[in-house]
Amino acid sequence: MNHLLSFSSSLQGYLAVGAILFALGIFCVLTRKNAIGILLGIELILNAAGINFVAFSKFRTGLIDGQIVALFIMLIAAAEAAVALAVILRFYRLKQTIDADEASILRN
Amino acid sequence: MDLVLLLAEIFTVASAVIVAFHPNILYASVFLLFAFCGVAVMFLFAGADFLAGAQIIIYVGGVTILILFAIMLTQWLYKIKLVDIRNKMLLPGVLALGIGFFLYRALHQMALSLPKLTPEALDKFTATPKTALMGQALLGSYLLPFEAITILLLGALVGAVWLARPE
Repeated sequence: MNHLLSFSSSLQGYLAVGAILFALGIFCVLTRKNAIGILLGIELILNAAGINFVAFSKFRTGLIDGQIVALFIMLIAAAEAAVALAVILRFYRLKQTIDADEASILRN
Repeated sequence: MDLVLLLAEIFTVASAVIVAFHPNILYASVFLLFAFCGVAVMFLFAGADFLAGAQIIIYVGGVTILILFAIMLTQWLYKIKLVDIRNKMLLPGVLALGIGFFLYRALHQMALSLPKLTPEALDKFTATPKTALMGQALLGSYLLPFEAITILLLGALVGAVWLARPE
């Protein structure tokens, strides 16, 4: 138990959570057919990146630069979610579905 | 205190597992909200108090609510469960496991090559409030990325409104 506690509060614990979140996000993006489901996976991936930046910022550099990069990641994720949802709503109006496999207009 | 962090990490990972595996997209997005809250607690324990607040405001209050809105607006999703994601899970699963493992190994190697902080420096970093420091950095050495991100946000906002316009 003590071992687990010290692992969770070390850099490795943060990196492990970040890697697990990243892997789950990749899995979510690859398996889901629903466009909103894919968006959920992308949010997980971006959050995993933020965790890694914050962890290195605390445990290795001791500076706040990593936190500022994590803040930028957060803002980019917000902008990305807004645009993606607008595209999804537009696509839903066009095709009456948000199945990503149906989005093949450009493929011809 | 370490116990709270451990519980937050377990909570985050468990919520993320449900996000990735739950067949109903509505439940998946609600558990995404819980995962974001867990990550905010992790930020708090890493001395990122401002980021933890921003995480709650932007992700929990903004992005997740936006996603829930989109699900409600395309509400036939309530009935159709995404059972088809069970069909091909092997290859994506192997790929995701491989990427996650590789990522952890690579970052672990990188962490070993960097100098460690002393425990006193770690405690001092965690105890320092970050809001003023981040404000000074954003309007100081990070001024150009800050201005760029404002233009990006404006463009994204205008673009989203234009894309979702009525006919």
